[in-house]
Amino acid sequence: MTALITEPSSAASRLGFAMTDAVTSTRRYLLRSVRQPDIVVGGILMPIIFVLLFGYVFGSSIQLPAGNYRAYLMSGLFAQSTLFSSAAVAVAVATDMADGVIDRFKVLPIARSSVLIGRTVCTVIVGLPSLAVMISCALAVGWRAENGFGDAVAGFALLSLFGFTMGWAGAVIGMYAKSPQAADALSMVPSMMLGFVSNVFVNTANMPAWLRAFANWNPMSAVVSASRALFGNSQGVPVPHVWPLQHPVITTLAMSGVLLGVLVPVAVRRYAAPT
Amino acid sequence: MTGYAIRADGLVKSFGSTSALRGVNLWVLPGSVCALLGRNGAGKTTIVRILTTLIQPDEGRAEVAGFDVTRDPERVRARIGVAGQSPTMDELLTGRQNLDLIGRMYHHGPARSRRRAVDLLDEFGLTDAADRQVKTYSGGMRRRLDLAASLVSDPPVLFLDEPTTGLDPVSRLGMWQAIRDLVAGGTTVLLTTQHLEEADQLADVIVVISGGVVAAAGAPAQLTSTAGQARLRVTLAAAVPAQLWEIQAALGPGARIEGRAVTAPAPGGLASLTAGVGRLQSTGAAIHQAGLEFPTLEEVFTSLTIGADPIGQPGGHDGGSRRLETSAS
Repeated sequence: MTALITEPSSAASRLGFAMTDAVTSTRRYLLRSVRQPDIVVGGILMPIIFVLLFGYVFGSSIQLPAGNYRAYLMSGLFAQSTLFSSAAVAVAVATDMADGVIDRFKVLPIARSSVLIGRTVCTVIVGLPSLAVMISCALAVGWRAENGFGDAVAGFALLSLFGFTMGWAGAVIGMYAKSPQAADALSMVPSMMLGFVSNVFVNTANMPAWLRAFANWNPMSAVVSASRALFGNSQGVPVPHVWPLQHPVITTLAMSGVLLGVLVPVAVRRYAAPT
Repeated sequence: MTGYAIRADGLVKSFGSTSALRGVNLWVLPGSVCALLGRNGAGKTTIVRILTTLIQPDEGRAEVAGFDVTRDPERVRARIGVAGQSPTMDELLTGRQNLDLIGRMYHHGPARSRRRAVDLLDEFGLTDAADRQVKTYSGGMRRRLDLAASLVSDPPVLFLDEPTTGLDPVSRLGMWQAIRDLVAGGTTVLLTTQHLEEADQLADVIVVISGGVVAAAGAPAQLTSTAGQARLRVTLAAAVPAQLWEIQAALGPGARIEGRAVTAPAPGGLASLTAGVGRLQSTGAAIHQAGLEFPTLEEVFTSLTIGADPIGQPGGHDGGSRRLETSAS
């Protein structure tokens, strides 16, 4: 009998194996996504409803110094949809933990990080069609990428990085939640805090001081400011004189780096922990 | 190298204040089948979870396929296959996709993984269902797919946690045959079961687990004889009171008659069965059904716990355990 054992022989091949494992795991989650079209469709419909709700229901009563509120709003909604996808990651991870599938993976010779990497990368990829739908909506309501193609791509790349980072936050929640329902409930609070106590809808300048401090240092505000700057649709709204919002691109990169540096090891360690 | 496919020494494991294992030793020779027999909660699954690197023992050590399960879990994982009682296949994906993904996770690459999936689907009679989602599979099909998945890397050591629980009799026989074929190919199998008959059918050595210790261990014949011997059970075509005395005389003093059912000790197994049936027929009794009946797990336990084994004695880690060596068949 010849056992089909393929093992890494060096640190380099170990890294290669880990990357292969991450690709395989991403592939698995993508194959699963294809079988759950309702979730993908939900992810596409949600942003349309948001554009209608916030752009017209509330937006009709909001006056900006110059230009179009809906163009101002869109960067916020792009960021918010990537943020809210983290709840889906939390629920998916908790679901995997609750059934026997993870035990199957744990007895396979795969890198401990691969299952969670697959899940978070899959979220970014599955988010692309809903981002495309959202961009179409945005163009329909008057949003434009005023600074040209390069800056627009940079803006969406930053938004995707932010979404990936928030996906890992979802993975941590999913790893520690006792059930998929608990994971959903637990992701609610941080999503709402980050998503609404921010500059997504309105300038932070008019908030009470204690709330303004949170909003100005909220990573969500940084990524929204960064994409507004890159898309060139600040619409004359003054940027608050706080460091993170004055330097939103570097802040987004740094905060994502720091958050990933903490969240990835926490989630992976929890996954790999023998009980 | 120790020369054992599986070797566990003094495994102790607690979950909170519940003591699951209290000193388990287990030595299994390559190419043999070892059955862990015990009730729910006896500790069988805990042993399997330690040996398959899913959990770590509090005390003791274990080697599988020559590698330590706590120090070298990745090398162990590359050399084992695991199929459990709970389905671990992805319900949303097809049988083919599941097997293909597992091949890739063993780093076989796309082409080899695809080929292996096709071969295994064929081997387990799942070719027709290959491209259907697993959630449409029957219980027996899921179990076959799970077993196929555990064989993707052709592992030298295979763990089967209650492989036939919940299967109908035909599927159970199919599973037994599949396990026998694997063992004939040289695979070492550790299986857990609640059914003595299953252990008897498949195992070279049966290890009875009770209360987190090894209550007894030995070859099937050895174990069932300590537990009480096989019985001959005959169902008569009709209960004829006039024949009772004759039947009793034909089968000897150990025979018991209740209505149409007749039982008698069968120390010689099949030989006792044929002899007993012959003697019954000579009395003129019409026989509806005849067969051998083995002691039930309940009876094995009863006799074991009545015996001298200090099962459940506090502090006695090695109290009830016996070392065992399985002989390769």
